[in-house]
Amino acid sequence: MSFVRNRAIVFAYIGLAVLVALTATISPGLLRPSHVGTLLILASFIGIVAVGQTFVILSGGIDLSIPWVLTSAAILLTKFCGGSDAALAWAAPTVLLGGCAVGAINGVGIAIFDVPPIIMTLAVNVVIQGLILVDTSGAPTASAPSLVQFSAVGYVGPLPVALLVWAVLALAASVILSKTALGRYLYALGSNKIVARFSGVPVIFMTIIPYVLSGFTAAMAGILLTGYSGQAYLGMGDPYLFTSIAAVAIGGASVLGGSGHYVGTLAGASVLTLLTSLLSTLNLSNGALLLVYGLVILLTISLSSEEWGNVIRRLPKNQSERDADSVVHSEDRTL
Amino acid sequence: MLTSAVSRSDKSTTKIMSIPHGERLRIHLMNQVAVLMACTMFGVLVVIYSSFRGGVFSLYELNTDAATTVPLLLAAAGQTIVLLRGGIDLSIGGVISLTTVLAATRFPGNDWSMACWIVAVVAIGGLAGAANGLLISLLRLQPFLVTLATWSMLAGTALIILPTDGGHIPDGWTTAGNLTAVGLSTPVWILILLGLFWCWFSRTRLGLAIRATGSAEKSAFLSGVSLPMIDISTYCLSGVFAALSGLFLVTQTATGSPTVGNDYILPTVAAAVIGGVSLFGGRGSLFGTILGAAILTVIGNLVFALQISSFWQPVASGVVLLIAVLGSSLAERSANREGI
Repeated sequence: MSFVRNRAIVFAYIGLAVLVALTATISPGLLRPSHVGTLLILASFIGIVAVGQTFVILSGGIDLSIPWVLTSAAILLTKFCGGSDAALAWAAPTVLLGGCAVGAINGVGIAIFDVPPIIMTLAVNVVIQGLILVDTSGAPTASAPSLVQFSAVGYVGPLPVALLVWAVLALAASVILSKTALGRYLYALGSNKIVARFSGVPVIFMTIIPYVLSGFTAAMAGILLTGYSGQAYLGMGDPYLFTSIAAVAIGGASVLGGSGHYVGTLAGASVLTLLTSLLSTLNLSNGALLLVYGLVILLTISLSSEEWGNVIRRLPKNQSERDADSVVHSEDRTL
Repeated sequence: MLTSAVSRSDKSTTKIMSIPHGERLRIHLMNQVAVLMACTMFGVLVVIYSSFRGGVFSLYELNTDAATTVPLLLAAAGQTIVLLRGGIDLSIGGVISLTTVLAATRFPGNDWSMACWIVAVVAIGGLAGAANGLLISLLRLQPFLVTLATWSMLAGTALIILPTDGGHIPDGWTTAGNLTAVGLSTPVWILILLGLFWCWFSRTRLGLAIRATGSAEKSAFLSGVSLPMIDISTYCLSGVFAALSGLFLVTQTATGSPTVGNDYILPTVAAAVIGGVSLFGGRGSLFGTILGAAILTVIGNLVFALQISSFWQPVASGVVLLIAVLGSSLAERSANREGI
């Protein structure tokens, strides 16, 4: 349980606990079992997208192509199926594979052609967006097959199906990160690419894999989200760029890679969902929501900064000591 | 024996000091490979465009194209400075939205108080940027996350002030953005001013320090550069440019929009990168960014001139961005292999 030692992840869970306590006092209705089910379904969409984003960020990259991979998966699925469940048998795997393929394109560009991740995934996102718009001419598509709708809003016993999908993915992600060589490689790559290469990490392979996974989870979330809203629509993935990165950041991962865990992202996704619901019960506008989102991200990353000690210690010092300090720090930073 | 040793060491020092002239030219060209590619791409695109439409090489075309390019370009100028420092600024989108919203709701008709508001709006942009820089340097936070958070906060503030597109821009300000002097419209003059600004700024102490810090932070620090000051002024400048971009944008759209800035964040990065600005800091110039923004505008025009679905425009921009980055990263790699 090494992630318990990670201060940032502990902070994320303390934040979640505070938020739950706050919700219980302000609007206890939200924590009634019927509402909790809905909250968990909403959280699972963010959580599933964030599985891929966590892996990508841990490897030292970032995936900005999530919004339109998600949207295109949803639109293509409804288009292939045309409302019938029978076509789902081949349409769902095709769409998921498509997500993987887009991820592979991202990964190859980044790993083999040295394109910076921000630019590669951004360009791929824009290109997919354009292609989908050209294909649909901006018109809405057919409604989602009933089986897909069940997978998003249905319950197996007391548990929502979407939550089960999330649970399986979360478990797999956590086990991979903590218990397998793949996970070790990922952390090694994210901490220091050159050292990783000399230590025998298959760098190119390990750079591509997170993006493939991210394409897969984005497509998966797209399918579930189609079921939740009953149809696919343009721009349905747009909120998930911000929320997936925010969930990972609130969950205590470093955007520079190498530090963090999906266990933290779980808390991040829950915090974001609970916060959204809490603020909407308070009748806050969209603007206020964005304001609070930003504030929460800023607070979490500021609080988990390792620099507070130095900032405080630095104040009363004389000039020469301060200079010596800063040299050491600027070394930290370049690494 | 002693003298021979001295003369030998002399020889070796001079050998290190003076790189042959042809070699130096080659290094220089290697550094400029991205800009050269952008020039070629721009030339090809303009030739294709002019074959589809007459009157491309006219003052009228220059004036209208400048008007579409300048809002992006002003924001991209700030982004360029941040990229040279080795950071990235996503809060540009929030500042632009907030600026247009403030202009649409708060600008009075009266010229004097409008001037005060303009100064105030630019100051807000600068302050937001300075806050970014302060957090990034003092707490050593990652620029991507800090500016993501402040983007969200600024965009939220804009939405609170003006929930939907609307408001009114005083006529005095919209005409200021669409004047013509010596045949050239306001945006063309802004373009010229930007060029002059860069000629001056890139040679100032601050301009050099930003570039130096971006290419080698530790060396810059050891040469006496104050890192917090550099971060704060870099992001402050970016905020100021974003505010200017918003102020010019409203002269074209004549309304305020709380979401318009979001469409500018990634194109600013794209324009800079197409123009050869490195995402790793230290390399590039505003002239490259101007070229990159011009390429994006020509692509938009071309899609329009070809009379195909306007949805092809993002596809084309994305592909051009990828080609530009692939080209410069391959060039960089071959430069590394040769040990330059």
